[in-house]
Amino acid sequence: MRRLRNLLWLSWRDYLNEWQMSGCFVLALAAVLGPMLILFGLKAGIVGNMFEQLINNPHNLELRTVGNGRFDRPWIEALRERPETGFVIPRTRSLAASVDLKSDDAADIVPVELITSAPGDPLLGDVAQALASPTDVILSASAAEKLRARVGDEIDASVARRFHGKRQREHVTLKVAGIAPSTASRRDSIFALLALAEAIESFKDGIAVERFGWDGDPPRDDSRRLYAGFRLYARSLDDVTTLSGYMQDLGLNVRTRSEDIEMVRSMDRNLTMIFWVVALIGLIGFSVSLGASLWANVDRKQRELSMMRLVGFHTGDIVWYPVFQSLLTATLGWALAVGIYFGVSKGINQLMASQLRPGEEVCRLAPEHFVWALLLTLAASVVAAALAGFRAARIEPAEGLREV
Amino acid sequence: MFHDYRHDHCATPARGGNGERVLIYHLRDVVKTREAEGVTFKLRVPSLQIALGEKIALIGESGCGKSTLLDLLTFISRPTSVGAFRFRPEPGAAPIDIQAHWKQKAYDDLSDLRMLRLGYVMQTGGLLPYLTVRENIGLSRRLLGLDPDAVDELAYDLGIHKHLDKKPFQLSTGERQRVAIGRALAHRPSIVIADEPTASLDPIAAQRIMALFIEMVESLNITVIVASHAWRHVKSLGLRRLKLRIHKDADGGVAETIVSG
Repeated sequence: MRRLRNLLWLSWRDYLNEWQMSGCFVLALAAVLGPMLILFGLKAGIVGNMFEQLINNPHNLELRTVGNGRFDRPWIEALRERPETGFVIPRTRSLAASVDLKSDDAADIVPVELITSAPGDPLLGDVAQALASPTDVILSASAAEKLRARVGDEIDASVARRFHGKRQREHVTLKVAGIAPSTASRRDSIFALLALAEAIESFKDGIAVERFGWDGDPPRDDSRRLYAGFRLYARSLDDVTTLSGYMQDLGLNVRTRSEDIEMVRSMDRNLTMIFWVVALIGLIGFSVSLGASLWANVDRKQRELSMMRLVGFHTGDIVWYPVFQSLLTATLGWALAVGIYFGVSKGINQLMASQLRPGEEVCRLAPEHFVWALLLTLAASVVAAALAGFRAARIEPAEGLREV
Repeated sequence: MFHDYRHDHCATPARGGNGERVLIYHLRDVVKTREAEGVTFKLRVPSLQIALGEKIALIGESGCGKSTLLDLLTFISRPTSVGAFRFRPEPGAAPIDIQAHWKQKAYDDLSDLRMLRLGYVMQTGGLLPYLTVRENIGLSRRLLGLDPDAVDELAYDLGIHKHLDKKPFQLSTGERQRVAIGRALAHRPSIVIADEPTASLDPIAAQRIMALFIEMVESLNITVIVASHAWRHVKSLGLRRLKLRIHKDADGGVAETIVSG
């Protein structure tokens, strides 16, 4: 132990004494590692931002069934229980989901599509919390504009049907509980609880709706109601793939935005690969140059190394002499590279700040990335020094004793 | 005139309890052959006995096998064949069978033995350029975990106390040799081996340093072996000279050297 401690001390003193040379290698390492950190930071930042934009856009989490089907309540409940499911709600037939809206402040009648919703609807976010009663609706941004409606307003909704050969129209007063963000729906639509959609669908089917006092045939057993479809959102981007596979196994044709997701994923993969190729070439280049210099050092310091063997250092100790110096270079070079990275990434982020949303950074690294960089550099430097180390260990005490 | 630094190894006279000589080196029929460029050189030691505390001179022109013998005596070169090779670092200690260590490949034990028992003065320097004079002298003590206090006294006696905080490159050749002597003595070895320690100095400095060296090992009661190419360098210092018989081949090269003493 004492021998090894002393050997490291000697190695350190030698390293300090040749500070110009040591410094050059530290700089050389930082010159390779610094840009690599920045490159990786840019990759992580750009791809990360793209992923975040994908995740922040709930449409990317949506799985749409094509056409109308027949799904009962237990089936949809089972779907809700799946771990991949973020949000699911039954929907009525699209033809039975059209409503005409009329407000006091707008001249025109606005036909809208009713979209079933509930608190937790990812398209609406917090706005969906306002849906409490069957007459509460959330207007899409364009519908709200056309109706000149504000939150709290009452609007008249009417639905029409042909019943026993006669045209019939019924009215119901709805309360504007909220206005949806413009990203939720580009069309004129209203978001309402399932109860309202069911009522309108029943009405169109010629069935009486007691709640709103609409006449018609006697109601059927509501628990055995069949839905034309559902609105389904996965919990995460990865879950989209899983859920989509599950639905396809059931023979359901679903549409997702998986191409967008896959594009970002494949870009991430390609960029990562390019990064690793560059990083590998850089690190190998550095290792070779450091290794060559340490190898030459063994020649240059042969006399001193053999002197150290003469005063009692073991063969195994001497290996550590170049290895320790190499580890010093790795650590110092890494520290300098991290410093360079922080300086440059700060500059890049400031430069790009205007094109980014608040809190976004175009160049960013997680703490573990720095740790990985350090470990990789240490590993590369040990490999570089190992050959020199074994060469140094083979030096016999007698070799350097006499002038040749 | 010298301080007595002895506290690591006892300074018993070089005689055992019943008065017989304690041999630090006992070699019998030790042979080392070397082959270089098709020429074989053979060093033969029929019998060599060096007692503890003795001062030995090994005189011969360069290439006669002095260094080969020194390498054997410092356990850095393996003998080709051995009748007996024993090393006894102090009177009370059991003799160590060096050849057994070579056979068992116990090289680390030989390194430890060198660290503890041996001091070595090279022809030039052999100092570590990145250490100060103080650190260079103290290196052997440091390796053994001994306190570094003795270094200052030693430097004072060697006349280099003014240079303790300098690096070797700031010193003259003579001063560097004094530092080398300091390092070889600092850990109180049983034996100091000096290979042409003054060959690189001018004659006056050489004589002064050699005299100082011998005086110091004497006062410290350390066994010493000095190799030199000229007897006149050490003539007046009271050393026992080993006998070298040199057989030359037809071309005038040294074919065999026989050492005894």
